[in-house]
Amino acid sequence: MGHGGLRRLALPGGLLAGILLLALITPWLPLPDPVRQDIAGRLAAPAAAHWLGQDEYGRDVLSRILWGARVSLSVAFAASLLAAVAGTLLGILGGYFRGVVELLTVRVAEVVLCFPPLLLALLVVTLLGPGATTLILSLAILFAPGFARVAYAETLSARALDYVTAQQALGARSGRILIRTLLPNIAPPLIVQFSLTIAAALLLESGLSFLGLGVVPPSPSWGLMIRGARATMEQAPLLLLWPCLALSGVVLVLNLFCDRLRDVLDPRGRTQGRPGFLRRIAALPTPASPASAVPGLLAVEGLTVALPGPAGAPLVRDVGFTLAPGETLAIVGESGSGKTMTALAIMGLLPGELRVVSGRILLTDDDGRARDLLRLPEQALRRLRGNDLAMVFQDPSASLNPLLRVGVQVAESLHAHGATEDVQARVVALLREVGLPDPERAARAYPHELSGGQRQRVMIAAAVANQPRLLLADEPTTALDVTVQAQILALLAALKRAGGAMGMVFVTHNLAVVAEIADRLVVMYAGEVVEEGPVTEVFAAPRHPYTAALMASMPEGEAERLSAIPGAVPQPWAMPAGCRFAPRCDFAIEACRTAPPALVAPAPGRRTRCLRWKELA
Amino acid sequence: MLGFAARRLLVSIGLVWLVASLVFLVIHLIPGDPAELLLSQGGIAPDPAAVEELRERLGLNQPLWQQYATYLGGLLQGDFGYSLQDEHPIAEEIALRLPRTLELVGAAGLIAVLLGLPLGTVAALRAGGLLDRMLSAVAALALSVPVFVVGTLAVLVLAQQLKLVPAGGYVPLAQDPLRHLGLLLMPAGTIAVGLSAVVFRVTRSSVLEVLQREHVRAAQARGTPPAAIIRRHVVRNALTPVVTVIALHLGTLLGGTVLVEFVFNWPGLSGYLVRSVEARDYPEVLGIVVVISALFVLLNFVVDLLYAVIDPRVRHG
Repeated sequence: MGHGGLRRLALPGGLLAGILLLALITPWLPLPDPVRQDIAGRLAAPAAAHWLGQDEYGRDVLSRILWGARVSLSVAFAASLLAAVAGTLLGILGGYFRGVVELLTVRVAEVVLCFPPLLLALLVVTLLGPGATTLILSLAILFAPGFARVAYAETLSARALDYVTAQQALGARSGRILIRTLLPNIAPPLIVQFSLTIAAALLLESGLSFLGLGVVPPSPSWGLMIRGARATMEQAPLLLLWPCLALSGVVLVLNLFCDRLRDVLDPRGRTQGRPGFLRRIAALPTPASPASAVPGLLAVEGLTVALPGPAGAPLVRDVGFTLAPGETLAIVGESGSGKTMTALAIMGLLPGELRVVSGRILLTDDDGRARDLLRLPEQALRRLRGNDLAMVFQDPSASLNPLLRVGVQVAESLHAHGATEDVQARVVALLREVGLPDPERAARAYPHELSGGQRQRVMIAAAVANQPRLLLADEPTTALDVTVQAQILALLAALKRAGGAMGMVFVTHNLAVVAEIADRLVVMYAGEVVEEGPVTEVFAAPRHPYTAALMASMPEGEAERLSAIPGAVPQPWAMPAGCRFAPRCDFAIEACRTAPPALVAPAPGRRTRCLRWKELA
Repeated sequence: MLGFAARRLLVSIGLVWLVASLVFLVIHLIPGDPAELLLSQGGIAPDPAAVEELRERLGLNQPLWQQYATYLGGLLQGDFGYSLQDEHPIAEEIALRLPRTLELVGAAGLIAVLLGLPLGTVAALRAGGLLDRMLSAVAALALSVPVFVVGTLAVLVLAQQLKLVPAGGYVPLAQDPLRHLGLLLMPAGTIAVGLSAVVFRVTRSSVLEVLQREHVRAAQARGTPPAAIIRRHVVRNALTPVVTVIALHLGTLLGGTVLVEFVFNWPGLSGYLVRSVEARDYPEVLGIVVVISALFVLLNFVVDLLYAVIDPRVRHG
């Protein structure tokens, strides 16, 4: 990212350097005196001696533009520098010492921000009279609080960093800590602030000069030139154009430079790629293969999800499993195993740039016909979402819109699928069904007025509103307290019993939960299915070392990273050549590292992706 | 909600008092005698007798606390004193000109919101696409051209060369509504150029950020149609930073219409301020600054209320 950013900085940076250089060398250029008047050449058109013509006093316009750049830029630069030094100092002092010092520095500086900027500048001009010094001073007063704020905020966060605390504990003197450790940390945002301030100062300077309250004539300044040219607009419109172009051009270059500089120095602010949900979802081309008769409710076959591009690393590779009506299937794995991606692929809601590369996801509808979700147009898929297919997410406080009453959000499920009558009554009934006390009131509540467990109940109510035939639950209890977890699990189990044929895919990293809720189990590792089978059988006799290791770490099963297994899930672009678990596996032999093992069936209804499954038993 | 509003109102009143006192103190404590400043135009030392006479007339010989008390007492009754130049009551002049400036700022803000909000949303929804890149480039350009350059060039091209619109001026609404609005359009449109670009940028980045949030995906999982998602779950949630930035800029504009009023001959409050600054008429400057600052504070109060309307968490917090 660094190289791309620097390259993007080259164009505005080069232009800016050119402008600064031109302003610097102006005195040595063979230009006419910018203040020498020539009444005979008043408003003369461009000529060999005067490339851009002469102004209302016969002065050379090109020369005045270049000298004006010197004046405008040096006023802007001086004011910004003064503001930066004073503001940064105030901010660091306030942020470092806090208390009374903070009140006297940062808070006082912030009072300045209570005034509209131009107004404050005018106030200073009233008190001190116009002129370049006044101008620099008033601009500095205007812009110092901005620096103080940035420096203050960054100092506060740098103060909390471990190594600063550590240095203080070691007895380093305050002053040394400030200079040695804080300054490098706060430099990037301050540099961005500095270039922004130069552009703003340039604008204000030219504005004040335009009003006749800034740079004093006959000194050339772009604002003054525009002011002068306005009077002769009818006879010589071009005179107006040159300083306007110069001023706007320089500000444009400065702004562009700031934008790019911010991208380089502070990549956090960069806008992300385009949002997932509006891209035209490229449904996979319809395959020639006839829809085979699929028993059960859901069949995922050969699902592969990858990052875009020809070399896009697959995050989910060749995943397949089936689900019967009324059955609960748990998908288990560490973070990075691809279990959530698999669930989102079924919903057709993969984030950002992720794409399904190949595979089929067959959902059987009421008439027993199987439809491939990956080949449905977005419109048709949308009609299934929240209706036949529903999903409950991990974090209920993030998945509810904080600005809408929860009843409205539950009602959305009903409205989206054509309900128009008794929606309010049905919402209340749903909220009662998921066990919310006082459902009438709960429907009118905002998410922040409910507890975490109640919010998840609301999410479940919205998901089951249309009696879905398939419910996907993505770690629905992970973000909740332990006692609440049990209640939510009990609720899901009760809903399933009541729902009859509703199938459920339960994504989790917690084997204890699996034992409680699931009939069958799919274990995923690094984007692949490594083991599958009925829960009781797998728990009694795991046929893959990874499953065994997961079970061994069950007492610590609350933690997302399973500490009992050394190492971490490999990154998608750095997959081992052979078995993906081999680097972390105690049972790995040479054959495991050379070729990826195939899924085999050690018993009816069971599968494992391990060469040595027989020896595990 | 009412308690919330009352709390904010109290804070706002305190802020106005603070600003009024601060401006008063700054003017009186800064070295240099206002009377001497006023009379010493052109760099010639004024006649000491004349200065003394003016000091007496302005009450500058009274102790500071007494001047402050008189000043605050006057403010409470809406009395800002008299102009040094023509002895005209300042409050009257402000009352005449303030609505014109407010109208200008309001019209500019309206145009900016009507343009910036939908375009920013569209650009975010098509982020990275051709339309987005074109709109963003236009916005970058609009942000770089100073407002008085936009105004001056608009006068040059639209009024002088093409003779489409009058170059400027003011006609009261009651006298000729159509002409009034016609004359309003140029200055308001000029301010709106930069302001729409600001609104566009904030809306775009705010919408992009909201689009990544989990609740948008959850709404999709319910089968909510895209149009409803954008309306209910995206734009509304993206509004808070947009409102903040609009308010901030409108506040800045209260004192910042100076340039545009100057270019278009719009007889608003800012032009009055420039005239006062040029004449060093400090009671006038003081009065105008206090009024504008009070409006600024009032605007922030309204914004706080708006937050509460948008976000229930603020209401109950």
